[in-house]
Amino acid sequence: MNVPHVNTGTAWASPRRLQALAIALAVTVLALFPLVSDNAYYQNMAIMAFLLAVMASGWNIISGYTGYISLGQSAFLGIGAYTTALLSIHLGWSPLLAAPVGGLTSAAAALLLGLVGRRTRGIAFVIVSFAFLEFAALLVSNWSSVTKGNHGLALPLPSWDRDLLNIPFYYALLVLLVLTVWGSWAIRRSTFGIGLLAIRDDESKADGVGVRTDRYKMLAFAASALPIGIAGGVYGYYISFLEPAAMFDIVIAMQILLAAHLGGVGTLWGPVLGAFLLEPLNQFTNQTLSGPDAGSWRMIMYGTLLAVIVLFLPRGIITESRAWLSRRRGTAPRARAGVRLTDVPATLPAPSLPRPAGELPSGEPLLRVTGLGKAFGGVKAVDDCSFTVREGSVTGLIGPNGSGKTTVFNLLDGGLGADSGTIELAGRRIDRLPRWRRAHSGLARTFQATRVFPRLTALENLAVPSRSYSARGLRAGVFTGEEAERAQEWLEFVGMGAYSHHLAGELSYGQQKLIELAQALVLEPRLLLLDEPAAGINPALVERISDIVRKLNAAGTTVVIVEHNMPLVLSLCDHIHVLARGRVIASGPPREIERDPAVLDAYLGDNQAAMAGTTSGANR
Amino acid sequence: MGQLAQALILGVLVGGVYALASSGMNLIFGVMKVANLAQGAMLILSSYLTYSLWEATGLDPLVLVLLTTPSLLLVGWVTYYLVVERSRTTDASMALVTSFGLALVTKGVVALVWGNDLHSVSPGYANRSFAVLGMKLPQAQVYATMVAAVVLVALYVLLTRTWLGRSIRATATSSEGARLIGIDVRRTWAASYAIGIAAAGAGGSLLSVLYPFMPSTSDHWIGLLLSIIVLGGMGSLPGSVVGALLIAVAESLTTTYVSPDWATAVPYVAIIAVLVVRPQGLLGARLREDMSRA
Repeated sequence: MNVPHVNTGTAWASPRRLQALAIALAVTVLALFPLVSDNAYYQNMAIMAFLLAVMASGWNIISGYTGYISLGQSAFLGIGAYTTALLSIHLGWSPLLAAPVGGLTSAAAALLLGLVGRRTRGIAFVIVSFAFLEFAALLVSNWSSVTKGNHGLALPLPSWDRDLLNIPFYYALLVLLVLTVWGSWAIRRSTFGIGLLAIRDDESKADGVGVRTDRYKMLAFAASALPIGIAGGVYGYYISFLEPAAMFDIVIAMQILLAAHLGGVGTLWGPVLGAFLLEPLNQFTNQTLSGPDAGSWRMIMYGTLLAVIVLFLPRGIITESRAWLSRRRGTAPRARAGVRLTDVPATLPAPSLPRPAGELPSGEPLLRVTGLGKAFGGVKAVDDCSFTVREGSVTGLIGPNGSGKTTVFNLLDGGLGADSGTIELAGRRIDRLPRWRRAHSGLARTFQATRVFPRLTALENLAVPSRSYSARGLRAGVFTGEEAERAQEWLEFVGMGAYSHHLAGELSYGQQKLIELAQALVLEPRLLLLDEPAAGINPALVERISDIVRKLNAAGTTVVIVEHNMPLVLSLCDHIHVLARGRVIASGPPREIERDPAVLDAYLGDNQAAMAGTTSGANR
Repeated sequence: MGQLAQALILGVLVGGVYALASSGMNLIFGVMKVANLAQGAMLILSSYLTYSLWEATGLDPLVLVLLTTPSLLLVGWVTYYLVVERSRTTDASMALVTSFGLALVTKGVVALVWGNDLHSVSPGYANRSFAVLGMKLPQAQVYATMVAAVVLVALYVLLTRTWLGRSIRATATSSEGARLIGIDVRRTWAASYAIGIAAAGAGGSLLSVLYPFMPSTSDHWIGLLLSIIVLGGMGSLPGSVVGALLIAVAESLTTTYVSPDWATAVPYVAIIAVLVVRPQGLLGARLREDMSRA
């Protein structure tokens, strides 16, 4: 069950070491460069490359990791530059010292954008980000009493010795770039970073497993804008003259996009590599193309390049070459067709959370649903639905298709808001809580159409769920220590230990079901909701899942199952609620339910008759 | 009062032209679920084509719609098969990025051919106005709105009354479903894209008579188009008309009562406000995706 280890030859030449060595070498060369050469052309090229690399790395946090494509990221450059300029003109601050304040202002603006776009995803967010850029540009050009509008704003000239030339700018941006990449690396390996990747893959699922997606996104926005804003301050000082059209330029946004896509969106080094490749090209065309048509040719070149990258190198240089390398070396996790799943261990992984201290008063159910209602337009999917789930039970929720079972689950886990009624978990109302808080209070679920994070590995999928939220928790590394061990233990528990480094999206449907189940189990829920766990998988796997459910239940987890496989329901459950037309028409132990005429009627006969016959007994 | 009425009526007239200009982008969005960022550049391309044809032939620029529309249809068709289709197989963001690239290339080509300075198309009636009830309505504006209305009705009929229109709408609703019942989805996508670009062709001709233009004007148009389809609801043609009218009236009122400088901010404010308050637009599909998929 061990992960197929990448054979890396002797230790001193391990890829990790080589990479660290290469990074150290590159930084040293860049740090020494201005000392050995005073070629202004190359210095300028390097400064511009650092600038673009900082911007692309910043963009990568919100768009690469988190999946929110921003066309407005250059607005933060302008905001940082203008803040810095105003501070240095009016308060006499040195622009290099004022630049961090520019970064903070940009981060604040990004929070504003995040707040505005809080409910927008996908294409709607792209549009909001674009509108944000254009609006910021208009604001700066129309607010001329402060910004001098389209006349532009001149910054003080550098105060240092002329012999130093641009060396201070060079080092300021180099240090900023190193810090930005370091920050991006720290984010990528932290709990925060894995949460961002989960948001990229499936935001509402992330919400459902306890990730505070709203906070995560806001933090990502701020983290993304901060370095760009600081860079804007330095850059503004460097060019010493600001005008709205140049500082809030969609072409800069486009260069960011281009650099990131060229190197590899979502990778740590891709944006940097892309910027270092793109900027020389930029400078070259600046030199060779001159005259009135230069701008047009550059636009054509960029546009073509963008299209060519998308069409022929869609994942960027880094990702594509990595894939190519691992294919050649045969180090990719092999498809394990026909490999048996490992047996379900006899015991569960040791709980990491203290069991809730306050036991329920005797007779009090773990879950109490009262008068729950939800209508979609004119259709009442759930209508005055009431039932309870006893702690320690395996409760079945059955009913014909369209009777509202999955909607009940969606109302329970907060994927949908109820129109009416209350939900109490262990005596506490949860029906007004946001989704992540329901996960934190001990609720977990699986979906009928399995939902895993397809571009994360199986192990990473298990690193996403979270039962708490704290600043410290966000900083914690994902793949180290206890957390990783625990994730691996749960993978083994469902029998998927051998697949920990496979991308979840590449696993079979049944395997994804097991991953999703393990994902719910990492939360160590008090109440586990399983939506058709046996649908579409082979009998052996059904057997495995019922084995897992029994073991969980024996260890104290309460389980609610929606399922059409009657033998499974009858064998697993000790109590069953029958739903029809959005309400509970019968409840009882399996033996009774099997014979209840109302239930038979609801499944086989005329629904109306069943309803009429049982309304009196429905809401016990 | 007279001032208000004038501002409102001018707004409605301008809105008619905006509606046509945005209809193509909305059609493409509805069918292919991609915001075609090249649409602004296509409008400009058509404006310049109109300029050259008008210079060469002396025909009325509004009549030239009959030439620019098929020309842009062709441009759209070729672009679709050359670039757009291939960008659709990968990530959803790829199609967006590609359309951004297309916008840049188109803009660059336009600037190379026609230069970077301001152009305008001014037929004989360019500076004349109709005087109605004490209001002055520019003749060019009135004629342009009439042509826009005709083209929009034609587009509506095409979408609702023809076999092609039915397959376009079916594909917009569910491309898989359409494929299953035997619609050639690939051709339908190509047709929708080409028709969408052709609508920009007609729109660009009309706009050339109303406003002076240069290559970078396309950035302004793309912002405007986005705001219209966000406001009206993405993928809804009637929504497009409502959104266009509202934006144009808001612009006209801002110009009259605040300042022309701030009128350019109207689309962006509208985008931000709509996406905060009513993300699905006024008419149209939900943009918010905060629902459970299960």
